[in-house]
Amino acid sequence: MEFLTDPWTWWIAPFADNAFMRDALVAALLTVLTTSVVGTWVVLRGMSFLGDALAHGVLPGIAIAFIIGVDTSIGALLAAGAMVAGIAAIRRHSPLPEDTSIGVLFVGFLALAVVIMSTQQASYVGDLNRFLFGSITGVDDADLARQAIAAAIAVVGVIVLYRALLVMTFDVTLAQMLGLRPGLTQAALLVLVAISIVASFQSVGNLLVFAFLVAPPAAASLVARRVPMIMVVSVAFGTTAAVIGILISYHHDSATSATMALCSVVLFFIVLTLVAVRRSVSGRGRFTASTTRPEPTHTA
Amino acid sequence: MKRMYVSAVAAAAVLALSACGSDSDGDAAPTATDDGVTGSESGNVPSVIATTTIWADVTREVACDGLAEVDTIIPAGGDPHSFEPSLRDREALGDAALVVANGLGLEESLEDTIDAVEAEGVTIVRVGESIDPLPADASGDDDDQKGDDDHEDTGDDGDGGHDDHGSEDPHIWFDPTRVAATLPVIADGLAAAGVDRSALDACVTDYSERLERLDAELQDTVATLPIERRLLITNHDSLSYFADRYDFEVVGSVIPSPSSLAATNPGDLEELATLIADTGVPAIFAETQHSSDDTDALAARVGDVEVVTLQTGTLGEPDSGTADYVDWMTVTTQTIVDALS
Repeated sequence: MEFLTDPWTWWIAPFADNAFMRDALVAALLTVLTTSVVGTWVVLRGMSFLGDALAHGVLPGIAIAFIIGVDTSIGALLAAGAMVAGIAAIRRHSPLPEDTSIGVLFVGFLALAVVIMSTQQASYVGDLNRFLFGSITGVDDADLARQAIAAAIAVVGVIVLYRALLVMTFDVTLAQMLGLRPGLTQAALLVLVAISIVASFQSVGNLLVFAFLVAPPAAASLVARRVPMIMVVSVAFGTTAAVIGILISYHHDSATSATMALCSVVLFFIVLTLVAVRRSVSGRGRFTASTTRPEPTHTA
Repeated sequence: MKRMYVSAVAAAAVLALSACGSDSDGDAAPTATDDGVTGSESGNVPSVIATTTIWADVTREVACDGLAEVDTIIPAGGDPHSFEPSLRDREALGDAALVVANGLGLEESLEDTIDAVEAEGVTIVRVGESIDPLPADASGDDDDQKGDDDHEDTGDDGDGGHDDHGSEDPHIWFDPTRVAATLPVIADGLAAAGVDRSALDACVTDYSERLERLDAELQDTVATLPIERRLLITNHDSLSYFADRYDFEVVGSVIPSPSSLAATNPGDLEELATLIADTGVPAIFAETQHSSDDTDALAARVGDVEVVTLQTGTLGEPDSGTADYVDWMTVTTQTIVDALS
């Protein structure tokens, strides 16, 4: 109960006393900001599986970039682009549902990454591990700068795309009639998803970044209705999960990125429980599938 | 109204989450690091962190009679290749007066953190960079295995004709003479951290002599094994320095990489099975800190071969009989010689 009996020591002192804890916190908060604004659309548009696939689909790009010695962020973005193009191609040339095309490429890209790394027998694969799980104990100023740029791109991108995303999320036909180019908007959103994944390598790693891309926006969408409000609440939830995750990790020596990811998922279930209890108390019963999305009348 | 509700949910969530965290307050296992840092802060000797138990022991000998408080980040039994530091480890590293690391890529998952600590101004001694390292593929096992088929490059030193990828084999502690060569570098680091130079020089002299004796003892142990039996098949390429020093030949590896994070494939395993049958090597050396599934399966297939487990990258727990470098090296060498006799 130290977090209640001695709040300074539990909550504040770790950050006050250690520069690296402040760096870790900044890295985590930039991750939360980036993933919340982008993840809100991932959740609202039902693209969670694609987001997960992209998080792993960037790995072969990282592996190749790592081997030939170019910036791994560039490799990751190219791989994400290739994956999105591949999914679109499968959809165009087959009657298969989208989740099948995503699934095929998801596992294909993951396997490709492992095969590429396994051919590098004389070199070290530890760096690939680092991308999977992140290394928040090793963030430097360059990492923070890269994350800040990614956060800025994500926020600006979401503001620019706001109207188009909103309309096409709830009415694709209307979006086309208004000349909003849903295809282009969707592509732009995927680029933002890829950027938020790539930028979060260092802080949470791309195996766990998906937790922040989905859990806080999902929890936020349960309690807020308007899209900007979902984003704000998501940032608040994500921040809460990240701060508590870092502190638990610090005080109890657990793996940092996994603890943060776990906190964001636990937070989601706490919110879900409270919302469900409140609904049953107020007599509104269980959610039906259609009520999980905000209604257009509230948002437009 | 809705906002109040949202913030109430958030507040409840914070409390519930932090309650989860505090449950484990009592049973958080005290690590060597925790004890060490508090211990050294109360004393007046500099606090030194070594990445592995082996380098911690060697550093303690260089700072003999407690000239420095030495602790490890990677615990006894841990795999230095895959060890992920916690925030506490990061804190201990940042607070240290000196960090002794193996370098040469051994601490694969710790490297970012060590670099960040170095950028903060902590002195890092990477002992591997002070000696003459072997290339990562010095064992030449891959070529030797293929050599059975195409009869080219069957040389056992494997130095020629290999393009190394700029990587060097990090497992330098398997050669006591190379360990002895790192002592002055560690002493320099300790002197820079404020330890008395003349006291250090005395320690280095003593321990160098001890390592020289160890080397002579190991030569005697190995001498009981005829040269044609000095063939090593290992789990991952970790015994090249031992082979280099004591005239063994590493003929093959289940995972032909100095990194324990690499994987194997059926083709290589098949070649290895043939190799074991051809050479009649009686033992494969696995490692305590890694899964030996592939090695066990290989042994089961070949039949007439024993899987012998070595502690390759870590000393034993206190009182295990291998808790210091000299004892550990003696036991390891004896185990290898016994298995091949």
